[in-house]
Amino acid sequence: MVKKELIRRSPLRILEKSIHGGLKDGNIGVLASRKGVGKTACLVHLSTDKLFQDKPVIHVSYASRVDYIITWYEDIFKEIAKKQNLELAVEVHDDVIRNRVIMNFKQDAAHTDQVLKTVEAMIDCADFAANTIMVDGYDFRKSTAEDLQKFKDFAQKMGLRIWFSASLKKDDPLFDDNGIPYELTGYLDQIDVLITLVSQEEHVRLRLVKDYDYPPPGDLKIKLDPKTLLISE
Amino acid sequence: MNTRIEKMRNIGISAHIDSGKTTLSERILFYTKKIHKIHEVNGKDGKGATMDSMELEKERGITIASAATTVNWKDHVINIIDTPGHVDFTIEVERSLRVLDSAILVLCSVGGVQSQTITVDRQLKRYNVPRIAFVNKLDRVGANPFKVKDQLKERLGHNAVLMQIPIGLEDNYLGVVDLVSMKANYFDGTDGENVRMEEIPAELKDQADKSREEMLDAVSMFSDELMEAVLEGQENEDLINQAIRNGTITGALTPVFMGSAYRNKGVQPLLDAIVCYLPNPADVVNYAKDLDQDGKEIPLESDPEAGCVALAFKLEDGPYGQLTYLRIYQGALKKGDQLLNSRSQHTIRVGRLVKMHADTMTDISQAESGDIVALFGIDCRSGDTFVTPGLNYSMTAIFVPDPVISLAVKPVDNKSSDNLAKALQRFVKEDPTFKTYVDHESKETIIQGMGELHLDVYLERMKREYKTEVETGKPQVAYREAISQRAEFDYTHKKQTGGSGQFGRVVGYIEPFYDSPYEFVNEVKGGNIPKEYIPSCDKGFQSALKKGQLIGFPVTSIRTVLTDGQSHPVDSSDIAFQVAAREAFKAAYAKAKPQILEPIMKLSVEGPSEFIGNYFSSINQRRGLIVSTVEDGTFARVDAEVPLSEMFGYATTLRSSTQGKAEFTMEFLKYGRVPSNIAEALKEEYRDSKQKESS
Repeated sequence: MVKKELIRRSPLRILEKSIHGGLKDGNIGVLASRKGVGKTACLVHLSTDKLFQDKPVIHVSYASRVDYIITWYEDIFKEIAKKQNLELAVEVHDDVIRNRVIMNFKQDAAHTDQVLKTVEAMIDCADFAANTIMVDGYDFRKSTAEDLQKFKDFAQKMGLRIWFSASLKKDDPLFDDNGIPYELTGYLDQIDVLITLVSQEEHVRLRLVKDYDYPPPGDLKIKLDPKTLLISE
Repeated sequence: MNTRIEKMRNIGISAHIDSGKTTLSERILFYTKKIHKIHEVNGKDGKGATMDSMELEKERGITIASAATTVNWKDHVINIIDTPGHVDFTIEVERSLRVLDSAILVLCSVGGVQSQTITVDRQLKRYNVPRIAFVNKLDRVGANPFKVKDQLKERLGHNAVLMQIPIGLEDNYLGVVDLVSMKANYFDGTDGENVRMEEIPAELKDQADKSREEMLDAVSMFSDELMEAVLEGQENEDLINQAIRNGTITGALTPVFMGSAYRNKGVQPLLDAIVCYLPNPADVVNYAKDLDQDGKEIPLESDPEAGCVALAFKLEDGPYGQLTYLRIYQGALKKGDQLLNSRSQHTIRVGRLVKMHADTMTDISQAESGDIVALFGIDCRSGDTFVTPGLNYSMTAIFVPDPVISLAVKPVDNKSSDNLAKALQRFVKEDPTFKTYVDHESKETIIQGMGELHLDVYLERMKREYKTEVETGKPQVAYREAISQRAEFDYTHKKQTGGSGQFGRVVGYIEPFYDSPYEFVNEVKGGNIPKEYIPSCDKGFQSALKKGQLIGFPVTSIRTVLTDGQSHPVDSSDIAFQVAAREAFKAAYAKAKPQILEPIMKLSVEGPSEFIGNYFSSINQRRGLIVSTVEDGTFARVDAEVPLSEMFGYATTLRSSTQGKAEFTMEFLKYGRVPSNIAEALKEEYRDSKQKESS
């Protein structure tokens, strides 16, 4: 399959349709689940989909190591290339790397102002025309709505869309009656799109629980395949 | 474990250039009775030890600058291994760091953690070398060991813990309070050789108690026993020392000592700490690659009965010829033993075996794992591994990358010319990534290496060690050419008019091939090209590869497949087929979309976060690709891939745009395609130079 076709047929188009054309500039989207369900895989798949479209992505990680994130990208790329029988995989891979920067921060030491300053420097000083930022490992339990608002203001100022992953650590019950994770109820003013991931027998179910100001539809027609860790129909 | 190895330490002394490494080394030799008089290396201006004083020391015959010096302290053997002063990432630095089991990080109490400290510390970290810190120059104006301890924590990320506090500072500096024994230490006698223990001065009692509490808090993390004892108020010196040792050996704790080597204060407690807290060779697991098992990593045993594995880490020219320094990692070594050099597969016999001291050497008949010894009269290269025949281990990677940069050097006078040859011969032996040759066309001597800094180090060494002054040309990047698609050829070389004729026809194709630089495949059937001319074709193709047609650099990553051909019973010859192959290649090459490749380096820039925009733009301006960044609040590291051709003078740019606070390291990564606009410029340059040649 050629790259163009691959982009067109991606299950992520279904996701985009569900959230009214995808995340828009200045918006914040969050993927939330318990640890180990597949948030990072989803985030990397979303990111790789942008990279296939030659759109640069900055991946901000609060994990302790960079090489671990790079491995995620390699694995997801390989899975997509294999599954879709991608042509010219080596060339596509080179382009993907060229359009991707991984920025690692220690959340305890690097405050949001500094993180945003670095991201801005990357865009301005390094002429890196990113439009999408992926933020992985941001600790919502230690943070505040004001802090997340800084990301949102930044996204609006710079014309960016930002996807976060949120690790849910609370004891059960995890979600309120509307399916919103209790840990994120304080952030709903900042979050435009909120998707939760829940592990079921055969796969991981994706549930849209906040969809801008539209009534959220709940379960999406896509799921996460636990074997390949790809989002699929 | 045997007591011999328990009582051995292999240490390095790492330092920023002005922190007093030489003075400290000299005091260590003095107190361990290796030299009998202290010579002042410090200049009259008191600016501290410099490279010149190192030279001076050499002239006086004190060989602390030699590769390894053995001293004794309280029934222990301490081998002090010289760590190279230069900071570039080279195979040589890697080797000397490998032979250390631990290190003393010397810091100036005024300057604290400086950029070079960061670099040497990073090197030690890369090789997991445990370290203790020594804050020197407490007698200086502005001395502040507490600040330096904080910098160790903040800037280097060490779990730094004070083991002592100073008694007075600057002009009033008298000694230290030891927080383990809770005694004041003073250093009496003309050279501070008598350590006097006293009660802690009353005015320091509160501070000492507080600092001890902090120390106990930190070190009890490494011993449950100590933690319990502390809770019950039952801690004793042995328990504390054991906990400090546990933390230090794993690199999780950096005990901080202090003093003034110049004023002869604080050195003996540091020696005690080396013995007490730093690992012995058996505490550290070393690995060798088993060449019989595809380079599989094998842990080595310190057991003296096991087969011998030793690394030649340094060669030195002395008055008695070449001295080879070996570190023994496994087994034992005796005079008369046979050893196999696993690189060259040559067997050698151990002749004279010596141990180096400060100003003498002693002959020994045997040495065991952990030992550092020197051998005479062995022909080998630095980095070679010697093993008991039967083993086939290597301590270092066998793969040596091709040099990526070259530089023409011209000696300024006759004397320099003689010395240059000697210097080059030596460097080539020491460092497999350093190469040299004489260019036949220009008659210039060319040196080649892995980067600008790498070659700078050798130019500096020519000057310092060989008194050789050279003029240098412009650095030249080692480009390559490669094809990007398959192309067919069908070429007939025919010259049959008068005299003996020439005839050869070759048919086949060329294609990109990534497993090796070149492969030749013969698929000719039915003897259309007679067997004896097949190697001629191969030779013809190879001669065409030496100079690509785009910019005259070697062609790489290519496979040539010969499928058919034609010969003439009289006119075909070796030469005819060589020419046919060469011309066929040239014709096919143009059709195979040839490209220019350039060396791409892996760049790592490190410095304060405040300059991160400068790092980004400096990389961006150099066609660099930023791969990742790491930021921890105050410090940032940017990893990038950059073309070597854009990196000349980067050190200066980076220094001036960051007030000298950022540093970088660079190493060869891969060959990558040159962007088309630059490729066009290179091609034009090549055409111009060819035109000039012909006119």
